[in-house]
Amino acid sequence: MALAPSTYAGVADIVATLVLLTEFAMLRAALLRSQVRIYAFQSLVVTALTLEIAAVRHIGALYALAALTFVLKVVIVPALVSRLLHDADVDLAGSPVLGVASMALIAIAVSAFGFFAAGSLHVHSPTLPATALAIAVAAVLVAFVLIVLRADVVSQAMGFFSVENSVYVATLVLAAGLPLILEVAFLFDLLVAVVVIGVIMRVHHGRTRTLSTEELDRLKG
Amino acid sequence: MGPGVVAPQGIQALQDATILLGAPLVSGVVSHVEARLQGRRGPRMLQPYYDLAKLFRKETVVTEESSWVFLAGPVVAFGCYLIVPLLIPVLTTYGLPLGYMGDILGGGFILALAGFSVALSGTESGAPYAQLGSSRAMTFGALIEPTILFVVFAVALLTSTDLPYAMAATVRSSTSEIVRPGHVFAAIAFFLVVLADTGRIPVETHTGTLELGMIDEGRTLEHSGPALALLKWGSAMKQLILYTILINVFVAPWGLSGTGSGGSVVLAILALLGKAILLGCIFALVDNLFSKLRLFKITEFLAAAFLLAVLAVFIFYARGG
Repeated sequence: MALAPSTYAGVADIVATLVLLTEFAMLRAALLRSQVRIYAFQSLVVTALTLEIAAVRHIGALYALAALTFVLKVVIVPALVSRLLHDADVDLAGSPVLGVASMALIAIAVSAFGFFAAGSLHVHSPTLPATALAIAVAAVLVAFVLIVLRADVVSQAMGFFSVENSVYVATLVLAAGLPLILEVAFLFDLLVAVVVIGVIMRVHHGRTRTLSTEELDRLKG
Repeated sequence: MGPGVVAPQGIQALQDATILLGAPLVSGVVSHVEARLQGRRGPRMLQPYYDLAKLFRKETVVTEESSWVFLAGPVVAFGCYLIVPLLIPVLTTYGLPLGYMGDILGGGFILALAGFSVALSGTESGAPYAQLGSSRAMTFGALIEPTILFVVFAVALLTSTDLPYAMAATVRSSTSEIVRPGHVFAAIAFFLVVLADTGRIPVETHTGTLELGMIDEGRTLEHSGPALALLKWGSAMKQLILYTILINVFVAPWGLSGTGSGGSVVLAILALLGKAILLGCIFALVDNLFSKLRLFKITEFLAAAFLLAVLAVFIFYARGG
């Protein structure tokens, strides 16, 4: 019989798994607005995970990081994208290729790969259980599935932002004591990405009157 | 055996009796609460008993096209629902003499046999809506099955056995076992399975009378009299059995009798009924908060349950338990 992990590790793993589950929720969401809301929720979960580590492992810098994450990823980024969406006046998007259940099955298979690949690395971390790393890798891969299978700019942007969230969880496992200045630099990277994607969304919508990327393979002339 | 200790065979009989006699009460209280939540006055809490008594007094009408299977189905299903309580921890923390006759899979097979015989008898009625219900019940049953399998895998990985008693003992043993991700996600997946299996929203409106949306309810449309009584009683028992598994194996295996003394057994019966009613109220709340899914969206719901069960197993393999 396998020994249970400690209560702290168990809770941390559950919170990390919530990040993965929100990724799956994004695969399901057809409304672009709910896509953005799920991203905000995912960021909230990531903030909670940061706070849990900060409180249990007594790493003061993580409190500051949690506050920054909250302000940036839960408030500013979703607000910016929602405003862009509001201007674009497009509501629905879905996968043109596959149904939700099939996408979920593909994502399950992909995350299985992530789990077993990361599990065979035998990483040991003082801050978080190594399982969280496996979950983060799986979440990155599921976000890629989202980006590949959805053909609209918003889903792809949200997929990209949630890759950042998952990678952030991975860094919490591997280097929770990372100097704060580096973490802040990463967060500003995200801000730059938001601006770039915002410009892309506007230009794309201005040219094609849609947020779908399916139109992009049409020849012009 | 100390003084005041009930013989194991006696407790075993009490397990069956608790499910048999308590099931209509749980259904009645839950539908009463549900009605109250919707602002209706609702039926009396003991209404299911009156319904059963009335149906047992009525005559049975059988269509000319149907064979003996039509009437045998409800009886077989009822028998199955009487066997399952012997296998699961209803009242005690320790296994009773017949408790090791079958493991979780064994119980699952017997429940599946019950569902199969009801579906068969629905098909045998020759009526289109009963056949529609039967075929749908089997289709969605097949989609629920993988989730149940993965929940069983999770239990097996957590306890190295597939005995429900061992899982309950593991959950009781410490806090870290409760917040173990494998356990939490398997329990949530099983919750969703119970939601689907007892014909609750978002899968089915169990009080609905519109045949086109029916799944489980549709199968029994053609039955009447004692056969319908057995079916109704059986579905109330199935509901209580599933509640019992969810409560006493996964979520709250507390309040069970550990010694077998008379007082503790009585307490265990009351605790089980109380917990089942509480759980039923949660289901009634879910009923009121969500809307029914379109038939073709049910696969998404079941995919979500499957996802949780699979994650429970994955996380275990990633050494996170």
